[in-house]
Order: sequence, then structure tokens, then C-alpha cells
Amino acid sequence: MELLTASTGSYPRIGDRPEQQRHRQAYARWERGEISGKEFDRIQDEVTLEVIEEQVRAGLDVVTDGQVRWYDPISHFARKLEGCEIGGLLRFFDTNFYFRQPIVVGEVRWRGPMVRDEFLSAKEASPVPVKPVVTGPYTLSKYSINRRGADFDRLLQEFADAISREVGELAKAGADLIQIDEPAILMYPDDFQAFEGAMAKVAEEKGNAKLALYTYFGGASPLYRKFVKLPVEVIGFDFTYSPNLPNTIARLGCGKDLGLGLIDGRNTRLEGERDVLATLRKLLPNIGSEHVYLNPSCGLGEYLPRDVAFQKLRNTASIAERAREELL
Amino acid sequence: MKMREKLKKLGIELPLLPTTAVGSYPKPEQLLEARRTMLAGRLKPKDLRPLEERATKEWISLQEEIGLDILVDGEMYRGDMTTYFADNLDGFRISGFVRSFGNRYYRKPIIVGEVRWRGPITVDWWKFAQGLTKKPVKGMITGPYTMMDWSFNEYYPSRREACIALARVLHEEVKALADAGAKIIQIDEPAISTRPGELQEFAIEAMKIVTKGVDAYFINHICYGAFEFIYPGMLELPVDNFDLEMSNSELDLVEVFREQPFTKDLSFGVVDVHSHVVEDVGKVKERIRRALEVLRPEQLWIDPDCGLKTRTREEAIGKLRAMVEATREIRRSLGGG
Repeated sequence: MELLTASTGSYPRIGDRPEQQRHRQAYARWERGEISGKEFDRIQDEVTLEVIEEQVRAGLDVVTDGQVRWYDPISHFARKLEGCEIGGLLRFFDTNFYFRQPIVVGEVRWRGPMVRDEFLSAKEASPVPVKPVVTGPYTLSKYSINRRGADFDRLLQEFADAISREVGELAKAGADLIQIDEPAILMYPDDFQAFEGAMAKVAEEKGNAKLALYTYFGGASPLYRKFVKLPVEVIGFDFTYSPNLPNTIARLGCGKDLGLGLIDGRNTRLEGERDVLATLRKLLPNIGSEHVYLNPSCGLGEYLPRDVAFQKLRNTASIAERAREELL
Repeated sequence: MKMREKLKKLGIELPLLPTTAVGSYPKPEQLLEARRTMLAGRLKPKDLRPLEERATKEWISLQEEIGLDILVDGEMYRGDMTTYFADNLDGFRISGFVRSFGNRYYRKPIIVGEVRWRGPITVDWWKFAQGLTKKPVKGMITGPYTMMDWSFNEYYPSRREACIALARVLHEEVKALADAGAKIIQIDEPAISTRPGELQEFAIEAMKIVTKGVDAYFINHICYGAFEFIYPGMLELPVDNFDLEMSNSELDLVEVFREQPFTKDLSFGVVDVHSHVVEDVGKVKERIRRALEVLRPEQLWIDPDCGLKTRTREEAIGKLRAMVEATREIRRSLGGG
């Protein structure tokens, strides 16, 4: 078994130091028409390099591009799909972050890569593997306004086709591990059958890439037995909502790779090494996973200040280091 | 009606369908400029006091002129509703920038130690505002659940413990407001429907701690709500009046109340605070009539959905005037004015 550390998604794009304000200032100037889209793109590229460098410096084995270009995890995809318009702000799950709600007005169709180019430039810039993140079809459909009046299953199928296509593009672009985020399924467990169908569709185009299904912002224990049967190679959980999850996993075992969201991505308190090690000690002997990822419970970009995000990741890396010494 | 009697006992006589506001009004440009200078460290908070007082006076007299029945101080002295209280309590620190949406960022309180009440926070401003008018002015605080949910917690072992500790502290503030003479106290809990299970687990208990033994008429202001998940359970919160945003949800809640009758007083939001469009009197009357389909007139208060601070001064005034005029016309038709 190999224990690795990973980012779970976004990373703060601004910080409190003056030189860390560049993205925010450029965004405002671009909105006012004072700089061109091209100039804003250039700055976003630079900030992407910065946040990759920070994740690497913190000691992570697998990083992301920080999702610096994402307005939010929902509309970033919807605005690039055919059939969707972008609507008003809505609270993102139980957080204090707001996303723009897509309005489905026509048939939802993939019309070009959504995050492939972001992945390619991040991959080129990073000395360690980069994991692209894609919001899954269930979460996208569930958080869209269905103005077309099509039934939900139909909508889900269309989103699943589109995301499947994107997964194919990412695999062809050289992604070894692709993360699919599906937090919404935790809120609507009764939809699992439809969700399962959508995940099967998403997995069709993955080629040699591994798929990592991540959920967060809800308890995952009740669905655990179903998650381990999905056609994905990695399942990632937010343990902050699931105090019983370590016991569930220890009892039922796990044949897949696991993403352990034991690091709270929504609180500034740094985890105690001893507490995390105690959970790992309970889990690791009971699972058959080849790779285990220690990672934050969710992306950090919308929930933590930048300096704390860095400390969280550094803490993740140092706890993993200790775990490798003591437990493996 | 029990709650009307409570108000009467407190010495407050209100017309049918009392009109009020939720809390905040837009700040004048000069005050906004001074606040920016203060945040940049070039002015002290106390240097802002004269501007804040002048702006408060202006809003009190505007509200009187427009004809509201219960006034608010307009929150000229507050920035963010959580940070304002965190700044004035022991146990908090303020974080670096956290993203809210798009290019918007805010600083979030962090609970780093035991939260403690240093002394009255809002009482001075309440006294100042009440001293300017004969109409009742609401005392206003941010509630314990929202303070907890909108802060990082590095000190308490759980959300529950943080919330209960905050409730004890805010109880002191509520007592101080009541001792100073505030008869109507509003507790803002916009976050209370965030994790529906926590309502029964500890949010109701926390509100009991805040209000216990305090002789006042309590209002709970709730917005951004996923009410369908906490109704009717939320009626167990120990307050007299719920202030809900109704207009930006197309009055969906009216249908909910048809199924499950609303048993307390209700401050019914009749103007949308997120829209630049000033509703006309006809539109507001229509909304009040919808409210009266499911509520008795004695239960109903009329106000905007939420604080008006994000609107321009003209929009805010326009919305309040439409609200007061519409209420007067409906009152007349009910034979109550």
C-alpha cells in the first residue's frame, strides 16, 4: 500500500499579502473593461503557476491547477455546454459560497473541451502529477434549473454524455487520475440508481485513466456499500460530516483506492497529528487499497484564507510522512 | 391574541399590520468613504462616530416621515453582521480573505478562545436611536447559530458547543438591551436553516438560552432560507415573531402555510431587497393580500425581505414608501385604519 497526499480541488487565488492581490485586482479591472480578456488570461496563468508551486512546496504528491479560472464548480462547466444559460446566485450546499445556477433551455451537449486546456498547461508547469477535476453529471443536473421541462433522467443522461466526453478528452491529454465531484448525491440518496447509470456512462471514455469519485458536505456512511461497487478506481470521502465512516470502512473493508478527507477543508483549525494517525491506524489495516490519498475534505479555494490553506496542506504532508514511518 | 397582549403589557400599542424594516439601510457616501479610510488604517473607528450619528438621525427621521410603525437604527455603525459582534466579543480573531462568489471576498471571524461578553455592544446605539423618536426602535443582534456557522471554530470541540457558548454571551447582550428599555428585540438568524438537523439538536436550545427570562417581544429574522426543511419545526424557537423573506421566492411559503398553519406572528417581506426595481403599491398590496389568505390580520407585520443596505438610498426609500402606502390601503379595507 502506498500513502500519497493530494489536493482535493480548488486553492485560494488571492491572499492577504499585497502581491497576492493580483488576481482580484485584475478581475476587477477586466470587469470594468480596463484590461483585455487576454491580459486577464495571462494573469490567471501566472496565478495558476503560483498556486501549483504552493501545493508542491507544501509537499503534496498530487496537485490540481487550483481551479483559478472557475467562477464556481457548476457554472464553469455549464457555460461551456450547449443548451445551458447562466442564471442567478444560489448558496453552494451548506457553505457561505455562492454559485451561478445554470438554466437548461435546450438539449445539453458537449461542444468543446471544458477543462482540458487548463489541465494541459498545469501539467506542463507542474513537477508532480496534476489531477484534473470535473463536476459530475448528477450534481450538474441537480443544481440546474430545468426550464426545458425534460424529465430529470433525460437531463442527467445528457450531462453524463457531456462529462463522459470531457473525461475522454482528459484521458487522451494524458491525465492518469481524473476526479469526478458528486457532492449532491449525498443529499439525495434515493436517486442512487440514476446516479449509478450516469457514473457508468462517465466511465465509458476513461481509457487508461483512473477515475476518482469524490463526495463531500454530507455523511457518506449510508451509501458506502453502494459507492464501492461503482465503476471508478478511487472513492474519496469528507470525514468531517461522517464521524462513523472510519468504523464503517474498517468493518466492511475496501477493495478500491481511497481518498481520505480527514483534513477539514472548511475550518482554520489545524488537525492534530495524533488524531489523524489514530484514524489511519484504525483504517489502514482493514483495507485492501493499493493507493490511499490523504487529502482535505473538499477544495480549499472557497473556504479558507490562502495562508491557512497552505498550512493545511503542509500539515497534510507532514502527517502523511509520519504515517508512512509508523504505520506502513 | 397572546402576542398582541404581550406587546400591550410591554406598553406598546401598534396598529393593525404594523410596518417595520429589517435592520440595515444604505450608508451615505461620505460615511462609506470614511469607513474605507478606517479599514486602510488611516482613521480610528471612533473618528467615524459623528458621521454615523448624523446618518442614523437622518434614517430615523426618514422612517418617521415615511410612516413606519417600528423603526430600526439602520446599522450605520456596522460592517458585516457577524464580524461586528465578533470584533466586540472576547475569543474572536478575524481571518484573512475568504471567497464569497465571483470576485467577492470577506474576512471571517475565527473563534480562538472562550467567547466572552466584555459589556454592552449595541445598547449605546439603541439608546441613541430611541432618543430620537417616540416610536419604538428595535434592538438588534446577530443570533448564536449564525455567529457559529459564519465563523471558523478553532476552540470549541463541536458546532453545538460553540453555538451554546455564543448563546450564553448573547443572552447578556439581550438582557442589557431590555434593561436599557428595548421592548422589541430582533435576533438575526439568516443561517438557521443551513443544516436542518441542527435545529432540533441545538439551535432551539440556543435560542432558549438567549431569550430566557428577558421581558421583551422577540423577533427572529431568517433569510436565504431553505424553510421547507425546518418548517414547522422552527415554530418551536422561543420567539414571538418570525421575519421571513417572502418576495424573492415568489411567495412560495404561502402555500406551505396553507398546509401547515403558521402559529406565531409573522413579519412578511413584501419588497425584494435584491432587486433594483421599486415595487408599485399595487404589487405590494397583492402580496399583502396573499399573506392574508393564510394569516389573520392580527398576526401580520409588514416589512422588506431583508436589510436594504445594498440598495441605493432612493430605491430604499421608494420601496419603504410603496410598502407603507400599500399597508395603509389594506388596513382601511380591513376597517383598521
